[in-house]
Amino acid sequence: MKFQIEDVTVYFPYDNIYPEQYSYMVELKRALDAKGHALLEMPTGTGKTIALLSLITSYALSKPSNPIKLLYCTRTVHEMEKTLAELRLLHQYQLRHLGPAARILALGLSSRKNLCINPAVVSAENRDSVDAGCRKLTASWVRALAVENPNIPTCQFFENYEKAASEAVLPPGVYTLQDLRAFGRDKGWCPYFLARHMVQFANVVVYSYQYLLDPKVAGIISKEMQRESVVVFDEAHNIDNVCIEALSVSVRRQTLEGATRNLSKMAQEINRFKATDAGRLRAEYNRLVEGLAQRGNLPISDTWLANPALPDDILKEAVPGNIRRAEHFLSVLRRLVQYLHGRLETENVEKEGPVAFVASINSQAGIDQKMLKFCYDRLHSLMLTLEITDTDEFLHIQTICDFATLVGTYTRGFSIIIEPFDERMPHIPDPVLQLSCHDASLAIKPVFERFQSVVITSGTLSPIDLYPRLLNFNPVVSRSFTMSLTRNCICPMVLTRGSDQLPVSTKFDMRSDPGVVRNYGRLLLEMVSVVPDGIVCFFVSYSYMDGIVNTWNESGILKEIMQHKLVFIETQDVVETTLALDNYRRACDCGRGAVFFSVARGKVAEGIDFDRHYGRLVIMFGVPFQYTLSRILLARLEYLRETFQIKEGDFLTFDALRQAAQCVGRVIRSKADYGMMIFADKRYSRHDKRSKLPGWILSHLRDAHLNLSTDMALHIAREFLRKMAQPYDKAGVSGRKTLLSEEDLEKMGDGTTNEMLF
Amino acid sequence: MNDMEHRKTNDGEGRRLDGEEEEEEEDEDEGNGRGLDAWERAYADERSWESLQEDESGLLRPIDNKTIYHAQYRRRIRSLYSSTTTARIQKGLIRYLYIVVDLSRVFDSSLKRLLNYRISVILFYFPGLWLRNYLPMERLESAFAASEMDFKPSRMAVVAKHIEAFIREFFDQNPLSQIGLVTIKDGLAQCLTDLGGSPDSHVKALMGKLECSGDSSLQNALDLVHGYLNQIPSYGHREVLILYSALSTCDPGDIMETIQECKKSKIRCSVIGLSAEIFICRHLCQETGGSYSVALDESHFKELLLEHAPPPPAIAEFAIANLIKMGFPQRAAEGVISICSCHKEAKVGGGYTCPRCKARVCELPTECRICGLTLVSSPHLARSYHHLFPIPPFDEVSLSLLNNPHQRSSRACFGCQESLLIPGKYSDGKKMLIFCNEFDYSISIACHLIDCVV
Repeated sequence: MKFQIEDVTVYFPYDNIYPEQYSYMVELKRALDAKGHALLEMPTGTGKTIALLSLITSYALSKPSNPIKLLYCTRTVHEMEKTLAELRLLHQYQLRHLGPAARILALGLSSRKNLCINPAVVSAENRDSVDAGCRKLTASWVRALAVENPNIPTCQFFENYEKAASEAVLPPGVYTLQDLRAFGRDKGWCPYFLARHMVQFANVVVYSYQYLLDPKVAGIISKEMQRESVVVFDEAHNIDNVCIEALSVSVRRQTLEGATRNLSKMAQEINRFKATDAGRLRAEYNRLVEGLAQRGNLPISDTWLANPALPDDILKEAVPGNIRRAEHFLSVLRRLVQYLHGRLETENVEKEGPVAFVASINSQAGIDQKMLKFCYDRLHSLMLTLEITDTDEFLHIQTICDFATLVGTYTRGFSIIIEPFDERMPHIPDPVLQLSCHDASLAIKPVFERFQSVVITSGTLSPIDLYPRLLNFNPVVSRSFTMSLTRNCICPMVLTRGSDQLPVSTKFDMRSDPGVVRNYGRLLLEMVSVVPDGIVCFFVSYSYMDGIVNTWNESGILKEIMQHKLVFIETQDVVETTLALDNYRRACDCGRGAVFFSVARGKVAEGIDFDRHYGRLVIMFGVPFQYTLSRILLARLEYLRETFQIKEGDFLTFDALRQAAQCVGRVIRSKADYGMMIFADKRYSRHDKRSKLPGWILSHLRDAHLNLSTDMALHIAREFLRKMAQPYDKAGVSGRKTLLSEEDLEKMGDGTTNEMLF
Repeated sequence: MNDMEHRKTNDGEGRRLDGEEEEEEEDEDEGNGRGLDAWERAYADERSWESLQEDESGLLRPIDNKTIYHAQYRRRIRSLYSSTTTARIQKGLIRYLYIVVDLSRVFDSSLKRLLNYRISVILFYFPGLWLRNYLPMERLESAFAASEMDFKPSRMAVVAKHIEAFIREFFDQNPLSQIGLVTIKDGLAQCLTDLGGSPDSHVKALMGKLECSGDSSLQNALDLVHGYLNQIPSYGHREVLILYSALSTCDPGDIMETIQECKKSKIRCSVIGLSAEIFICRHLCQETGGSYSVALDESHFKELLLEHAPPPPAIAEFAIANLIKMGFPQRAAEGVISICSCHKEAKVGGGYTCPRCKARVCELPTECRICGLTLVSSPHLARSYHHLFPIPPFDEVSLSLLNNPHQRSSRACFGCQESLLIPGKYSDGKKMLIFCNEFDYSISIACHLIDCVV
């Protein structure tokens, strides 16, 4: 269908549209008009992605003189593929209606691991080894050598790509990663470098968060993007954590040992070069004297990860004299590693600001701030000079240089925390030195400044006023949309008591109470006997889950549960968890029924959908607060309070509730689906907690469901499941219109739209 | 008979009407943001007070819903008729139906939930009574060995009652068809009765076996039924109706394969669930072309069950025209002693003789035990016929036409001869006969033939 939103003709590939999609588009359009940022919350399963794509591409088509570019950031490769598939559908529709004028180029970009088609390289087990494998075949000096000596292996795909030079372009169309690989195989061109090249010309680019937020990656990939771009962060409820992680480094003992090994290897190399090709080292020295930390135009295959600090914060100066010579630089690094070793030996937890830390390095190791700041670039230059290709071997020294550069660059918003052991396992020494960033707004600031519109969207962004403060920006539009439903297909409940009327909670002083553990067990036991197919349970942490499952096992509750449904448990091992998930799905499919025990903030809670019969009920045992004794969290809370005036309690509750909402949101992925959600903790009934849940859950949370005991919840569950099993009418009963056709939209084309719908 | 039929439909319509009212009520509740408490809802479901009405003198009388029911009924007839005539749906008249009754333990779960609830209510109001260590919960639980309380008095009793009604209704509507009973218990499927045409023997067998235990296994049941139905000749329509109470199935192998086999053998599997939607049941029904429904309460369950009585549309690729050999046996001379082939004992009088092998059978319709000939009587055939050619709906006659002086003679109903004073008359299109509401009803629902009245 196509329709008008103000002056833009929107092409939408389906015959009907949900009212909330329409309002979403209207808001988005206003944000684009105002060239400002937007914060939009809409529940999953309402077609957020297609609404976004459809509006932004239509907007670009309506303004042919000044076409905007769309940078769409997803969290996972799977989501990337899904987005591109939707886009392809939309693109075909637009082509049918507009003809060749609607042609666009859209592609996904991912790491070499996902794009490489050279069988020898892609077979490596992790991302870093694939990168290194690629570099071994494509680095400029390797290729130069190969010209003289044909026995040196190179990558034929890259060679072909280079040979084709300016002819190597992608014709317009929508390319998923798979399409890119197929295209590359077809033409014999390297899909990774082709995609990297084409990103500058594409109308739509779908890639991962890191390509914009992590300065190391963003510096090389997203440097060239024009200002007239719309950046979309999808599923962005954890965007602050991504930002923080992008600027945080942790150093362990293994890192330091690895770094020492790297250093001695580099020393050997330097000696070798001195003996054979001293001119090269001298040339590097001269270049550094001239003030060029980076060589001018590197060939595309030699580019490295960029500086870990943000572009604005990088000094544009010459490298200081005392680290210009390779051997001097190495000795500086050696002293730094030595110093860090010393710091890790500590018996107590230590916390320091960057300024104090730099001062102490200066006095003890004789390395000043400026030298620290240039560590990364200097290392980069040295490794290029030494023609090192197996970069995966040198990750440790890179981590150290990351750390040094960040610590030298930033004085605010960071702290250095040294912990001699893990708080929860005090007898196992595992010292770790962490440089943790507390300010999410640092990493995302260049994005907000550089691009015209940034759209942050997710199913759970409540409370929506906190994100602008955390990320320090001013959205022109910030709204939360509810879901229009033909029937009440979600049934949230707050369970505060067990059958014996004792309150249940995972509060610290209550969680080990046998009464609470038993009541939680009874709750699950009763639920498995009335809920068909799949049930998902989320616990607050691995250790709590271990404890409670053990107790259930001892008291026989687990055995009784197993009579109704099979039990699967998420572990920290990814392979094991994947296997468990797979079997869980099979048990649901074949009618045996299954329960999945999982952990809030775990892999499963973030990325796995339990839609349809895979999740008819999700139980959230307790409120998933972060581990509040963690030093990093405490430091961050302190920073937030001082800088943004966000109270500790507020932030912790907000963070816990968004995790809880994220967990329970796993069960509903479309409107035809249905599911129940039980929040099993007495603290959920308090207003300050509850009100932070997203609107689409709150609007279904009836007062009568706020303070339930197990048996009442059971009764409600039984009724709900019966009601939902009845035949379902997609179009909606009269009075509640949930699917709009083209005529409907035309009818309400005037300004009264919103009033009519909400 | 007519009377009974009439009442039955009346009940059905009444319930549906109530159902709609309930829906609206629900919506209002949600609008106010307040729901009913759990205990209130149990009473609200029955709504016995709503069928009462105060008359002028202040007396309570049942509401006269007849006119509304009638209107609804006519709508249904009309839609039924239009769908059969326009689409020309082929229907399987000779059905071989296995009813699978799930008698697993879930059926018989104890009263403890109710008990828990009561105790918790008591404790809620009198916290002083809390005697956690004294409360002999286990003993109390075992004392109440009743069933799940959603169907009263127990699921098992309700299911049995309605299966009985269904079997009788089924044979009434499909005289040429046969039924067999299978139960699931302890993870095993058991054949209770073989395919047969006698309602009484099925009902008797079922009532004798009403006890439940163990897990439920859908696959075992399907395997068993598949084994039986695979031998049915190709003109017979193979159907399974599963009354599934459990929420899971414990299978020995891959149930998906079994489902595919059922699909290959053209067995139409339908499921009526008693508690909630289960994916595997839905999958089974989708694959084999059956219907899946879940009962809300007892009356809804009954309605769903009875929906399976009229023959379903035939599966397209399977509905080839076929000639079937049938015998129309004579009623044997009274007072003659002969050996009955179905009971294998000497009986006096009251039997039928197979026209081919002269064996004696007690009841029709059946299959001759000796020569395997299908034995029916002509009314059986005729009764099945109406599914293919339903009576066209009658037209409503306006009051003015009735008052037309030229047609004075027809102011009384053709059937019951009572004069038509209230509006709402219906006339048969072809012969221009006029009937009252009541008669319209009986003709369409019970006799299915206009000629039997005329």
